[in-house]
Order: sequence, then structure tokens, then C-alpha cells
Amino acid sequence: MASTARDAPTLDLVLKRNSVERLKREKSPLGILDELPALIAGGYEQVPEEDIVRLKWWGLYHDKPKIGTFMLRIKLAGGIVTPAQLRAIGEISNVHGRGEGELTTRQNVQLHYLELGALPDVFERLEAASLTSAGACGDTVRNITGCPLAGLAHDELFDPTPVIEEAAAFLYGHPTYSDLPRKHKISITACTDSCAAPEINCIGLVGALRNGEEGFGVLVGGGLSSVPRIARDLGIWVPKDEAVTVLVAILDEWREDLRYRVSRVKARLKFMIDDIGPEGLRARIEARLGRCFPDFTLPPAPPPGNHLGVHDGYVGVPVHLGLVTGDQMIALADLGHEVRLTRQQNLVVVTGDDISAELERIGLPVDASALRGDAIACTGEPHCNFSVTETKTRMDSLVRLLEDRFGREADGLRLHLDGCPHACAQHWVGDLGFQGTTVRDEEGRRRQAYDIFVRGSLDRPAAIGRPLFRRVPTEELDEAVVGLVQGWVGGRAAGETFRSFCDRSSDDELAQLAGREISVGRAA
Amino acid sequence: MSVELLDDLEAGELSVEFEGEEPEAVLEWAIERFAPRISISTAFQYDGAVLLHMAYAIDPSVEVFSVDTGRLPQETYDLIEAMRERYPELNLQLVSPDAATTSAMVGKHGPNLFYRSVENRLLCCQVRKVLPLTRHLAGLDAWITGLRRDQWATRSDIRKVEIDHDHGAIVKLNPLAEWTEEETRDYVRQHDLPYNALYDKGFTSIGCAPCTRPTQAGEDLRAGRWWWETNAPKECGIHCAIETGGLEHELRALVGDDD
Repeated sequence: MASTARDAPTLDLVLKRNSVERLKREKSPLGILDELPALIAGGYEQVPEEDIVRLKWWGLYHDKPKIGTFMLRIKLAGGIVTPAQLRAIGEISNVHGRGEGELTTRQNVQLHYLELGALPDVFERLEAASLTSAGACGDTVRNITGCPLAGLAHDELFDPTPVIEEAAAFLYGHPTYSDLPRKHKISITACTDSCAAPEINCIGLVGALRNGEEGFGVLVGGGLSSVPRIARDLGIWVPKDEAVTVLVAILDEWREDLRYRVSRVKARLKFMIDDIGPEGLRARIEARLGRCFPDFTLPPAPPPGNHLGVHDGYVGVPVHLGLVTGDQMIALADLGHEVRLTRQQNLVVVTGDDISAELERIGLPVDASALRGDAIACTGEPHCNFSVTETKTRMDSLVRLLEDRFGREADGLRLHLDGCPHACAQHWVGDLGFQGTTVRDEEGRRRQAYDIFVRGSLDRPAAIGRPLFRRVPTEELDEAVVGLVQGWVGGRAAGETFRSFCDRSSDDELAQLAGREISVGRAA
Repeated sequence: MSVELLDDLEAGELSVEFEGEEPEAVLEWAIERFAPRISISTAFQYDGAVLLHMAYAIDPSVEVFSVDTGRLPQETYDLIEAMRERYPELNLQLVSPDAATTSAMVGKHGPNLFYRSVENRLLCCQVRKVLPLTRHLAGLDAWITGLRRDQWATRSDIRKVEIDHDHGAIVKLNPLAEWTEEETRDYVRQHDLPYNALYDKGFTSIGCAPCTRPTQAGEDLRAGRWWWETNAPKECGIHCAIETGGLEHELRALVGDDD
């Protein structure tokens, strides 16, 4: 394990090997906002690639093709958004974008096709609505996620919203914590299930009572992308009023260790946990803070809830593919209720009334299938520069197909579809995960295809799925999926989850259901 | 197919294991595992010379391929001859554009179409570079590129082992990912490797003859490639390496599908 002081690299080596570390030190990415007028005056053509990279720190990514429009990611800590804020986002989308928006798995909203010249007005509107995109992309603390029912659910241990707000107020746009080795993901919850998926965050604070006192257990080192890891338990309990102190101490240990700045391939907390283990990090945190925390291990949690439907105090609204229009956001704001975004790209409206009819009128029917509500697809085509396949559109046809074939029998199945290995839609932990790839057909033509992952899960303990079927041409995907779902629907014990069904089925049995050969995989 | 032996999980773990390792370690592992269905892609720039030299020492029979667009500068062909002399057993495949597609394009738009619009230039890149490349890759289990992290501000996270989902999920290896341009040049100098004479004439990046020119000291690197273009996609203006896959994404968005 590369954990001795002898192995620590010099800053010179970091700067030699890592162009982004150079770029951050040459000029603060957060400062790029002050240069917007000059960049606009010079024209998009003249904007250096380095400044395009810096714009990420304000939540801006190139749309595709890279000829002058941007995606904007707006951070909503804990997924909480007021009616006035939602209206502002809808208006920005209508005035400067193309009247569209996406709800993301980190409880952000994304808008597309904003032109460089529009950005000063966009940022003025965000500020006026007390919204921010600071650190929505780049080597920062990304949006802090939480349970959308924080403060609403009758069975939560306590309301963690003040902790989320304190952490976000301190970390968002803070220069020190906007110069991390890479992106950093934090989740803070105190609900009874794992809907905010702390297991796949760099740091997950999970509400836990100790002798009746409110506080958190701590999960560290989770993350998906190309090298997935399920977070591990740091082994301590932290009182609620010290939660942000411990969070910052972990970030300080992380950002100061130059070993993880040499290469961006290893610049995630999960690789430090690989090297020193949670016990190693715990020792460093306790040494840093000069005191010890009580031993604590988080208990298992049930599968994540989706919070859909009309309930006492809130209405959970499935948003098909996470797509909303600017007009829908404004119409939702007109209803006058606070709104929460969910990891499953849906909405929760905070109201004691049954507003199903109003939501139906806005085009957001509450009674859509759970299958539809649980389905997650990444941004993908046509916006994203990484995706190699259709994503949301392909998910749309999969959901319609399964609804037609199985009605509500397929509810409870969690479909996660990504267009590339970055895993924004968390395909590693879906019941059925799909990752876009390509194949050549017999005439040598390029065809879209998907790898199919099974046995992934967000229950605690969570599990990383495995690509059991690889390079399934998109034309053959429906048949394989219907076969697998048919096998589950027809062969499940009462209430049995898809994961459980797959866990007790052999690879060969699943292959028979899918009508495909399994990938030879890693055993070889 | 043997490519099925490597999935994203395994590729991800390998990419972490190979961090900090020398390029030869990646090459040895890859050649051992994938030969003979593995090939080194080169445009005969410095990085290509380095990879070729390293791989030849491991296994002289390993395939090296390059797309001969038909519009390469004479200096590049001279370099190819010098390589053939230096490495007598060199297994070099020069891949050509499809004759019918090329003459149809030239017949419709003229031989110098690229000067007239970005779309025309991208079409020419597609016909003369991308399609021959993708056709050649279709017959491989793995390919090796000279991509380096310091070539683009936006590609600082290139992995040494990847599954190439742009190209039928074959394995893609980038052994030089960690190297700087200076290290690459030093290696060429230290091992006295043949290199393109255009470098001594002020060229910083070498592609097709009509689309590449020397740059002056202090001049923007973008002045060396497609200098006449306005409104070209970002990142395609300097090192438009076909190996990144990025050009293909832009092509499909701007010109249409590649088949």
C-alpha cells in the first residue's frame, strides 16, 4: 500500500503530470465569472480550451456539438427548491434555453443550449433567486444530496436539513473546497431507507441515534464511474452539531494528500480508502481533530423508497425520464408549494392537499407506474459529448414496452440506463443496468448496443452489478429484457425483488430467460 | 470472441493498477494478452515513434497501422521509409480510404473541399481518416494509441486501459497517457529515433499536407491546423486526433452518421 511518507509526491510532480492541477493554479476557475464580459466581447471562437474547462466550476459544460452553447447545472442542496426559485429556473430555460429542463440523480436541474452572451443575465437571475451553480461541475463539492422527505417523513430519525444547509453554505463556492483532487460527492440523510444512496457517495452521513442523541454514522469511499466502489463504514458516530466539522476534516485530509493529485484516474476518495482503509482514515481524522469518536456501525437498511403518490403532507410525482419543460416548472411554481427533487429524477411537492388534478393538468400525472417513476436514464443523446447511444429515448421505449406487456406487474423493477461508463444514471446499482456501447453488424456498419448489468443494488449492503450480457444490439434489447422480466414476474416468490430473483438464479438460467449467451466475463 | 475476456469492471481495475507504471509494462501486458489481434495506431508523430520502438523490442511482429489519407506530406512518407529501414521486420499496415467513396466526394465537392466550409472539412476527415480507421478497428480485439493527458485541457483523465465503446467495445490502450510532450521528445532524442522532418521546419502537429502549416514561436497552436476556419467545434482545432473518439461524436452531430 502506497501510504508511507516516503512515497508522497512533490507538488512539482503533481504539476508536471496533471494539467488540471496546473490550470487551477494558473488562474482560479471560480474567478472566470469575472472574465465573462471579456470572453463574450472576444467571441466564443476565441475562448481558450482552458477557460472552457474553468467554466465547469460554474456548472457549465459544452453541449454537443461543441460550437458555442452550454449546459447549465443548478445546485439544489438536498433537492429543495422554493416556488420562486423554480419559477426563475423555468424562466431562464424559456428565455435563454429551449424551454427544457432535466432533473438529475444528484437532485440538480440542468438546462441546455445557453449561449455565452446570455450568461451574465443567467447568473443575475440565479443570484436574484438565491440559486447557485458554484461547484456544480469541476473539482468541487458537488450538490449535497438528501432524502426528499427531510422534515416531512413521519418515520425519519430527525430532520437533517439544517446540517445540509450548513454544509452547503460553507462549502459551495468556497475557494479551498473548490480545489479538491476531483469532484467530491456528499449525501446527508436521516431517513429510514437509503433513497439518497449514501453507499455510492464519497461521504455519506447517515442519521443514527446513540443513547437517544441525534447524530450520524459515516460512510466513506463510495462512487461509481469506471471503477465502482460501495462506500465503507468509517466506524464512528458523530453528534449532529459536529457533523460539518467532521465532514470538513475528511475533506481536509483528502485535499492535502498529494498522492491523489498526480493522476485524475486515482483522484477520488475511494482510492484513498482502498489504500488505507476506513480505519486509516478514521485515525487521521481523530488525530487531526485531537479527539476520538465513539465506535459505531450502521445497521442494514431496506431498499430505497421512491416516495411516489399522494401522502399525508406530500405528493410524489413521477417525472418520466426526468424531463420537464420551462412552462411546467413555472406552472408548478404557480401552485405555490415547495418542491423537492429526488435521486430518481422525480419530484415531491410539499402539500397537505391532494393536488393530483392540478398536476395532471400540468402534464405530470401522479398515477404513472412505479416502473416509470423508478426508471433513470442519463442525459445522453443528443446533448452529451460522451454518450455513444440513445439514453432517455431508449428508456422511454423500454418503459412503454414493459408497461404494455406486464402492466403494474413490473412495478418495483428499477431500470438504470447510461450512454457511457461514467454512470450518471447509476447503471452499476440498478436491478437491470444498461450501459451504451457499439457493435459492428455483418456489413461492418456501426450499431448502437447495450451491456446489461444484473445483481446491482442500493440496499445496505449495496452491490455492484456485473455485465452479464454484453454488446446486445439495440434491436435485440427488448427481447432480452422482456425475457428476464417475464422470468421474474412468473417465477418470483410473493413480494420477491428482482435482485433477489437474480441472486438465486444461476447465470445460465438468466441467459436462458434472456435468450442470449452470457459474457465470459472476469472469471477467464 | 476473446475480447469478451475484458469487461468494464476489469478494465477499470487495470487502469488503476497501471497508474505510475512505465509504458512498456502496459505494452508487454497487452501484447501478451491480445496478440495477434492487437495493433498500434500511429500518425508518425513523436508519440507514435516511441510506441513503435518500445513495442518492436517486445515483439517485432506486432502490427502497426496508420491511415494513409492520400494527402499526407512527402516528409511523412519519407519517415515511413526510414522506419522500414530502422525496423526490418516491421509489420506495418497502411490503411487507405475507400476508393469509390473518395472519388464520389471529390467528384461532388472538388479535391480541396475542406477550405470551403467546416462541414466539408469534417466530411473529408470522415472519408479519408475516420472510416478507414473504424474499418480497420473492426478486425481487432485491442488497439494502442499515443494519446497523452497533456494534449488537451479537457482530456486529463485518459486511462491506460479502456473499453472503447465508440468502436465495438474493443480494448483501447493508452500507454503514454502519463507522459508529457517533453518526455516524448526526450525519448526520441535519447534513442535516436527517426522523426518527421517537418518538426524541424516549425510544425507542431502533423496531419494532412493541405490542412497543416508551421507556426511561429508564440503563435497560438491553433494557427497550425485548419487556420482558415471559424465556427469549428472546440477541441478539434488543435490536436484533432482521430483516436479520441471525440471527432466522431462531432461528425455524427454535424455531418450525420458515419455509414
